[in-house]
This record gives sequence, C-alpha cells and structure tokens, in this order.
Amino acid sequence: MTGPLHQVLAEVSAGTPTVAEIIRRTGLSDDVVRAALDHLVLSGRITSTKLSLGCPTTGCGTCPSAGGCALPAALGARRPGLVSLALTRPVA
Amino acid sequence: MSESTHPRVTGSVTPETSHPRSAARLAPAKSCCQTPSQVSAGPRAPVVAIVGAPNTGKSTLFNALTASRVTTGNWPGTTVEVSRGVWRATPPASPCTRGGCADGHEESTQDLTVLDLPGAYSLDAHSPDEHLTRELLQEGPVDERPDLCVVTVDASRLAHGLYLVAQVRELPLRVVVAMTMSDVALQRGVSIDSHALAEGLGCPVVTTDPRRRTGLDTLAAVVRTTLAAPVPAPRPTPDTDDALTRDDDRFTWLSAAAEQATVVPGHDRLTLSDKVDRWVTAPLLGPPVFLAVMWAVFQLTTTVATPLQDALDRLFSGPVTDTVMAGLTLVHLDGTWVEGLLVNGLVAGVGMLLTFVPLMALMFVLLALLEDSGYLARAAVVTDRLMRTIGLPGRAFLPLVVGFGCNVPAISATRILPDARQRLLTVLLVPFTSCSARLTVFVMLGTVFFGRNAGTAVFGMYVASVALIVLVGLLLRRTLWRTMGSEPLIIDLPAYHVPTLRLMALVVWQRVRGFLRTASGIIVITVSAVWLLQSVPAVAGQSFGHVGVEDSVYGVVARTVSPVFEPAGFNQWQTASALMVGFVAKEAVISSWAQTYATDQPQPGQSGLLGEHIQAAFQQSSGGHTLPAVLAFMVFLLAYTPCVATLAAQRREVGLRWTAFGVAVQLATAWLLAVAVFQVGRLFW
Repeated sequence: MTGPLHQVLAEVSAGTPTVAEIIRRTGLSDDVVRAALDHLVLSGRITSTKLSLGCPTTGCGTCPSAGGCALPAALGARRPGLVSLALTRPVA
Repeated sequence: MSESTHPRVTGSVTPETSHPRSAARLAPAKSCCQTPSQVSAGPRAPVVAIVGAPNTGKSTLFNALTASRVTTGNWPGTTVEVSRGVWRATPPASPCTRGGCADGHEESTQDLTVLDLPGAYSLDAHSPDEHLTRELLQEGPVDERPDLCVVTVDASRLAHGLYLVAQVRELPLRVVVAMTMSDVALQRGVSIDSHALAEGLGCPVVTTDPRRRTGLDTLAAVVRTTLAAPVPAPRPTPDTDDALTRDDDRFTWLSAAAEQATVVPGHDRLTLSDKVDRWVTAPLLGPPVFLAVMWAVFQLTTTVATPLQDALDRLFSGPVTDTVMAGLTLVHLDGTWVEGLLVNGLVAGVGMLLTFVPLMALMFVLLALLEDSGYLARAAVVTDRLMRTIGLPGRAFLPLVVGFGCNVPAISATRILPDARQRLLTVLLVPFTSCSARLTVFVMLGTVFFGRNAGTAVFGMYVASVALIVLVGLLLRRTLWRTMGSEPLIIDLPAYHVPTLRLMALVVWQRVRGFLRTASGIIVITVSAVWLLQSVPAVAGQSFGHVGVEDSVYGVVARTVSPVFEPAGFNQWQTASALMVGFVAKEAVISSWAQTYATDQPQPGQSGLLGEHIQAAFQQSSGGHTLPAVLAFMVFLLAYTPCVATLAAQRREVGLRWTAFGVAVQLATAWLLAVAVFQVGRLFW
C-alpha cells in the first residue's frame, strides 16, 4: 500500500488540476495533502511558482506600453493568489 | 556537550564548568524572586531543547517559560542564532505559579536549561537552521544531546508539524509535543483530541497557549515526569535507502495519528468554495459554465451600455462639434485646415472612441467582479485543462488569460514559462487573444449589424479567439516543435470571497485611465497622422486640406490595398484603410472610420451616422452578403497583428526574426480565415 506522499505524487504526475481535486481523489485530509505537497516542494520533487493574473513582477520598466497601461503590476499582485506546482522529475 | 558547541555568549558568563553541559553557562538575569546566582539551572540541570517549524509559537513558548532569564547569540561557527535560558519548571498548584514566593516552593520547582533551537520544518537539513537542529539532535554524541525535546506543533496545521515529530521520535530522545494555536484551529472548525494524538504519536501531548500563558504548568509537570522516566524506544523505521519511501513512511504514521486525533477530519469539511469548485472546475461542466458566464458579461455590457454610448455619440456629433465650429467661426478659422483637423480629425476620431468609455467601464467592472471574487482563477483551471488536452504547455494558459485584457503584458508574462520553446510558442499565440482594444470594434460592429444580439456576436468572437489559439497552437506544434512536452501542473486555488468595493473601483479606474491615456496619446497621434494623409492630395489640381479623402494620399494607398480583401467581401477602400490604421492600434480602427466618413459627404438616403456609412460599405463590397462580410472582417481583425506595442514587446522577448515570422503567420491566418468565412457564409446568407 502506498503512503500519502506516493499518492499525492501520483496525482501530480497524472495531471490532477487542483489541490482540492487531489484531496477528493486520494481521500486524504486537506492538512495532510498540503503538508505532503510542501514536503515534496522542500525535497525538490516538485516546484512551486506563484502565478499572477496581472503583469509579471519584473515591473513596467521594459514594457513598451507602460505609459498607458491599464493593468499595473501592483494591482495584479493584489489578486487572489494562484500557485502552480509542477514535477521536477518523472515519478519512478 | 563540548564547549565548542555551546552558544557564543553575548552576556556575562557564570563560570560553572564542572558539568559538561555548562562550559559556557549564560548568566541569568534577575527574576521576580531570585538572585542572579540562584536563577542558574546548575551543572546537573537537565537540558530541554525546544524545536519546531517557524511560526508555530516556539520562541513565544521559550520566552514564556524562561521569562527574562535568557541570553541569545550565534551558535559557534555558524550564523544561526540560538537562545538559551533557565526554566523554573513548576507544576500546577505551586505558589510560584501565582506570582508569589511562598515557603516550600523550592521543593516543587525544578530548574531546567532550555535551548530555543532555530525554526526547522524537518531534520532534513534544507537550510542552515535545519542543519544545526539536525546536528544537535541527531548527529552529535548521544551524551551531548538534550535530555528532552519539546516539539511545538501548530494545531491548525497539524500534519505540517508532525513530520518533525516523526523524525524526532526516530531518535533515542524523550519527546513532549507542545500543541499551540488550538484557538486558530477551532476557528477553522478543527478540534484536536490531545489524548488521542498522544496515543498515536507515542509521546505526551500538551495543549498550550504561550501568548496567554496557559498550559505552561501542565507542560512543566509533563516534562518533569518524562524526564524522570527512561528514554523511550525510538519509532521503528523501514530498512531502505530510498528517501521517498522513508519520508512516505513518516507521512503514513503522522497521517494516521492526525486522523484519529482530529475531531472534524479535514476531508469531511467541504467549504462552500470546495463545493462550488467541484462544479465550476469539473472537466465537462466547467467549460460551459465559463462560456455562460462570459456570454452574460458581454450581453449585459452591450445591453446596458448601448444607450449611454448613443447619448455620447449624439453629444460629440452635435453640441461638441457645434461648439468647436462656433469657436472656429469666431476666430475666423472656419473652412480652413484647422477646422479639418479639429472637427473631422480630433472631435470625430477621438470623440467616437470616447463614446466607448461607458462600455469599457462596465466591462471592466464585471471582469473585476469575476477576478476579485476568485472566479477567474477557476476559469484559469478550465483553460489550463483545455491547453493540456491539446498538448500545449500547461502554464501557457496564464499569459493567454492576461492577453484577453492586453497583449503587451501578456507577452511579458510568458517569462513564467521555463522552457524557451514554450515561451516562443506562447509569444506567437498571444496576439490571437482578443484584447480589450479589439472589443471596441467588435461591439460597434455587433451593435450596427446584430442589434439585440450584439452581445452574442461579441461573445462569438471570444470563442473564435480561443479556437484560433488552439488551432494555430496545434499547427505550430505539429510542424515546428513536435518534441515539446507539457509538464503536469497543479493549481492551488484561493477561496472565493466577497469582492472588495475599493479594490474593484481601483482596478476599474486604472483600466479606464489606461484606455483614456491610449485615446489621448497614441490615438491622437494616429488621428493627426490620418488627418494629414487625408489632407495631402495625391492627384493634380487639388490643394492641401481641400481634397476629397478618396483622392488623398490616404485614399489612394487604401484603394491600392483594398483589392486584396475582395475574396473576403470587404474591399471598400474605407474598410481597408481602417485595417491599415488598425495595425498601429485597434482603437484607431473606429477613429479612422469616423474621420473618413466625417470628411466624406453623406450619400443620398444616408443621415450621415457612422453606422449607416459602414453598413452601406459592407453591403456594397459584399454584393449583398453583408453579414458574411462583416463576420469575415471581424475574424480578420481578430487574427491580424494587434498593435505596434505588441510587436515591440514580441521583438524584446523573441527577437526580430520570430516577430516577423509571427506577423506573417497572423496576416496569413487572418486573410485565409476571412476568405473562408465569407466564401462559406455567402452560400447561406
């Protein structure tokens, strides 16, 4: 029988789209799944990236439309945060 | 412990070197009822190490236990800070716990040396802090390790803290778990049974709140009892060298312990967000829900904003134009090129664009509502699934979502993609996302040609935009990047929440301001340039500012280009010229139309309104197949190069060669699709 880490890793590998979906599919608690994901990130098996629906956080300095931009980066950063998690290497 | 492994002393030192643990004993400060010399834990005092993840209340507990009997400094040879103090461990009912120093308290009080080790999620040594904790608890000589380890665990994130407990329980150490933040867990509807948890972990668990100083006496009693007992047998571990298997064994163990101790298990507590997400992000239901929401947005926008837009249109073509004309007459500039520039150029061009402000504002309000509530994040999941279904990189959905607002930041947002080929492919696809500038043209044409179904027509263009991204993406992948993989991706969705009025107002204002800045900047320049080209005669016998548009440089160039669009049903030179100007910025399509038709004299039977001019142009160029021609025009507008700012962004990200390739792909795709739409459509309409 595989433990929580293997189960969560298998779901990531299978492309399960959200953390909520992993919780539903594995039957593990929210807390355990999130702890497992954090552990997998810390151990380098998956990468975690904060995503923004606004501009990239690199600022407007190099943007050709910075003067008339309708969506400053600072506003994008205030939105509900998305975090993407991706495998760093295939699951054996 | 050897002297070298003790904390560097930053205060004064009490020279108690007889006990191996006290080689560099820190001098304690004076407490409420003790002299400094009495506060010292003494050479034989047991050493208690407090460990735990950051933000679990570890240092708060340390401070509560030691009061001011503390010295802090870097651990020798490291930059890791360690605090050391004396804990006067007094069990419940002792007079000292009530703030007094009654007789007999010394029999019931035991002084302990306490180390506040740096925050550590685990003993896996991912950081210098964790490395030091591992060294002190696991790798140093057994007789130099602490006598007891107190592990602080946040009850609201139980599993996170229990991993460290699992590792510490694998060592020959006495362990007591101090469970903090139970109040936070309760607020989240989670209650932890400390007895059941203790049974699962095989060590005592004490619920404590160091901030309110509750549970400290119980902790003292439990620690003293545990210190008096022999060191328990370590938790058995699997005999394997595979790190993942070992870690998974710990998770299996901690998961079982947490499960039996959590009174309201996490997976039984579906929040409203979870329940809604199960529907709106479902593989089959999610896309239609997303499409229905977006259709409602466009329908609501066009229905509500159209009367306001008409009122503004009447304002600019009536009172504003009349006022400017009156002013020019007053200063004797009527009938000159200045009148042409101001009335036919700026008032007609920029004024027409400004009629879209209510529409854009309403659209931005609705999109901000979706965004701030958290729904757009769900839409991202739906889009992401679609991307991966067709084999495109998962994370590419994000820049494409941004592209529906503006293509320029979307191209910059492709930097989140780790693979250069994925970035390149996404940069080439972003221009096919229907930005808000194109929205103005779609709404105008939708209102003129589709009446009450304008919202559906605009919505159809957004669906077409998604289809275009998918088709072109597949085409490029099948031809240029056959080996590109798409890694699995998981999104951690934020919970839904009630949108903040202030934030929404700020977002809407920022976007409307951006629209107005574009209108007052690049559009004014474009309008002036168009006016100039329309004023310069291309045929002999006419003078500057007194030439029909058709005979101007503008008109002649447009007439040269317009035959290209004959197979697509919109080869009127006025239409072709609008597309040429639209290469600079899509908002300029409308302003150039307004300029062209404002300069032209109305044809017999026409009132002179812009919509009627455009209707007549499409009817004439399409041979009566007006709707297929309009749809073909809208598809062309969707697919060809968005604006020069997007080109500049593309050049910055992928270079001139790929930018030129992208423009070629866009123009070819736009023309082929427009021709296909018209030629197929004319068979039915």
